[in-house]
Amino acid sequence: MRVHHFLATGETRRLDSLEPILEALTREREPAAERKIDHVIACHEDFGRRILEDARTRSIDGVAFLSAWLRRENLEATLALSLHGLGRAALDGFVPHGRGAFLAARPQGLVAMWLAGNLPTLPVFSLVPALLAKDVALLKLASADPAGTHALISVLAESEGGSVRGADLVRQAALVWFDHREKDLNERLSLAADARVVWGGRAAVNAIGALPRQPHATEAVFGPKYSLAVLGRKRLEREEGLDAVLAAIARDAAVFDQRACSSPHTVFIEKNGRLGLEATGERLARHLEALPPKRGQDAHTSLAIASARAEWAMSEGRSVIVPGLEPSWTVCLDRETSLKAPVASRTLFLTEVASWREILPILGPEVQTCGISFEDDEEARAFAERAGLRGVARCVRPGLMHLYESPWDGKMLLDPLVRWVTLRP
Amino acid sequence: MFSLRDDEKERALLPILRELCPRLARECPPYGRFLARLGGPPPSWETLAQIPPLPVAMFKRFALRAVAEEAVVRELRSSGTTGQTPSVLAVDKATAFRQAKALAAVLKERIGAARRPYLVLDAPEAVGPGDTLTARGAAIRGIGSFATETVFGLRRTGPGDLEPDLDAAGAFLEAHREEPVLVFGFTYMVWTRFVLEAERRGVAFHATQAILLHSGGWKKLSDKAVSKETFTDRASRVLGCPRTSIIDFYGMVEQAGSIFLDCEAGNKHAPAFAHVIVRAPDSLRPARTGEPGILEVVSVLPTSYPGNVLLTEDMGVVVATDDCPCGRKGSAFRFLSRVERAPLRGCGDTFAATRGTP
Repeated sequence: MRVHHFLATGETRRLDSLEPILEALTREREPAAERKIDHVIACHEDFGRRILEDARTRSIDGVAFLSAWLRRENLEATLALSLHGLGRAALDGFVPHGRGAFLAARPQGLVAMWLAGNLPTLPVFSLVPALLAKDVALLKLASADPAGTHALISVLAESEGGSVRGADLVRQAALVWFDHREKDLNERLSLAADARVVWGGRAAVNAIGALPRQPHATEAVFGPKYSLAVLGRKRLEREEGLDAVLAAIARDAAVFDQRACSSPHTVFIEKNGRLGLEATGERLARHLEALPPKRGQDAHTSLAIASARAEWAMSEGRSVIVPGLEPSWTVCLDRETSLKAPVASRTLFLTEVASWREILPILGPEVQTCGISFEDDEEARAFAERAGLRGVARCVRPGLMHLYESPWDGKMLLDPLVRWVTLRP
Repeated sequence: MFSLRDDEKERALLPILRELCPRLARECPPYGRFLARLGGPPPSWETLAQIPPLPVAMFKRFALRAVAEEAVVRELRSSGTTGQTPSVLAVDKATAFRQAKALAAVLKERIGAARRPYLVLDAPEAVGPGDTLTARGAAIRGIGSFATETVFGLRRTGPGDLEPDLDAAGAFLEAHREEPVLVFGFTYMVWTRFVLEAERRGVAFHATQAILLHSGGWKKLSDKAVSKETFTDRASRVLGCPRTSIIDFYGMVEQAGSIFLDCEAGNKHAPAFAHVIVRAPDSLRPARTGEPGILEVVSVLPTSYPGNVLLTEDMGVVVATDDCPCGRKGSAFRFLSRVERAPLRGCGDTFAATRGTP
């Protein structure tokens, strides 16, 4: 039995093929399309409330963030932007568009999703846009033991909003796991899909990209990404509010244990007349120290942290700030204009540069989010314009780096998930 | 060699390292920076666990020499996989002497002092001429101090490829079938090139007094689902010796001479000049007995490079302190595995996996 099918009841069903799941999802397409978007949103909002209270989910890593993201205002804002100004009513049927024309955003159909990593909330972030688009979705999880995700889906099944019940929404989705080497299962999933959403590293993205697909299938690929932060000279020279910025960077590094594509690793600071590299490092360290303790850590990560600390300590022109031997947080200091290899788990590389312009050449499409803090908006805009030309997708204030929003990775989240239908009666 | 209790060893080794580490730091600037930034003042070290362990990977990234270049009599290199940067250890005369003496003393305690015929389950090229030795070469040569004659049981067929020379090995074991002989090889090579090959050909020997020492390569064997028990059973059957004569040891080229041999109870022990600390994976604090963690090895042998307190890339567990059934004192531990990369946890990990981490 190669396929693990994670049911909302908390049970796991073993199957040898995807067919029964695909058939069930196909049956759900019409009922899903009939649901009113406002009720779907209300159900999600209820889900967001419940996961903070439910004993099965309230201590899951990143659940507070997910809950905030599921709030009505956020989902409505996401839809407003993603639906090209036509409003979320377009998801319920035709809306006027110019003289005598109407447009409707109809579900694409079946969305196949290949997830990366086993942070429990990631599959939910990926699934929700598909549910809002009234698609049905088959999620191929990265882990055979997705306890946290499984619990979240169980809570979704118990949520409700207006005429929509969470049990309806979970019937729109199936969570499965099978070994990534099961070529026939991957091919079947790909060929069944009207839309493909791929999260993963280079190898996974290439492998899934090579699978056969329907000619009409749309695709969104969220490949390997790197994120960083930039603090401008004037920002560092003004004391007021500086601690809030550094605290926000520390929090951005702590959320998801620094393993999200939007997690900062290198923090560039512009040379300034007030705060040197070491002094800024000490200030940042204080905010890392003030974070709530981590929940456990694997040996590989601890070893990577110990190695990074040693390497920075031993190198000329570099330094490191640590709380002691314990690998709870680390600030590595240098003046090398480069993107430092991620170590994760609250390891930040603080790099002093003469000007933010110095880092432009090392920015590319692999950089997703820049957490930026400049004293004036003009400079922030100038940075964002240049960085955007280099391929960077997001330039946002520290504290907002993980705000999963549309567009993400430069793509409107709903674009691959809906088909626009025109009516000119 | 194994009569010191843990607390006695702590009292014996700590003053030596309090003096030795700062001296090495003065002579080796990268290590000096390491201690200055991560170590705290050595006089404040009250336990061996308070000495900051140097991750072994640093020997691949820095030239860590604490003596003048002309004082180096031998360079030891980790075997390393193709394409990987090897560790390079600069060994001076005093360190080389101490390492050789220490290795001999540890082996003598376990297998006796008598010299005996020596079958190396490796190719002669592993012990090349010159002053540069790989980990394999160093171990072969070190154990060779117990040899009356040496025969190599494998031969090289191409770059990095070895095949069994069962004729040579068979002739050796036949000639010494009732005599004490010493056999040594790296675990994976012993398994793939000797045990499996002999089984495939239906060959079994009658080396009833053979002692097989083997080390390293457990990851590859674990990948093939070969347990230590399976290895021991089948190697002893092929050689025709008792299971207790198959002795695994743990050691690393960065601490040559300091090896941790399996005792009769199947546990590994640190000799008087060495110590082992298991560090909890999440906090890097010393783990409790029975709690698996990252192995740290301590040795006072090297004085020409800062290889005294090393954080390894291996997992282990302390199973007894001063009360191993074999009677040896100090911490008794077991090697568990290499430290494995954890499953990817977030979308950002996919970037880290692509780029590699320190």
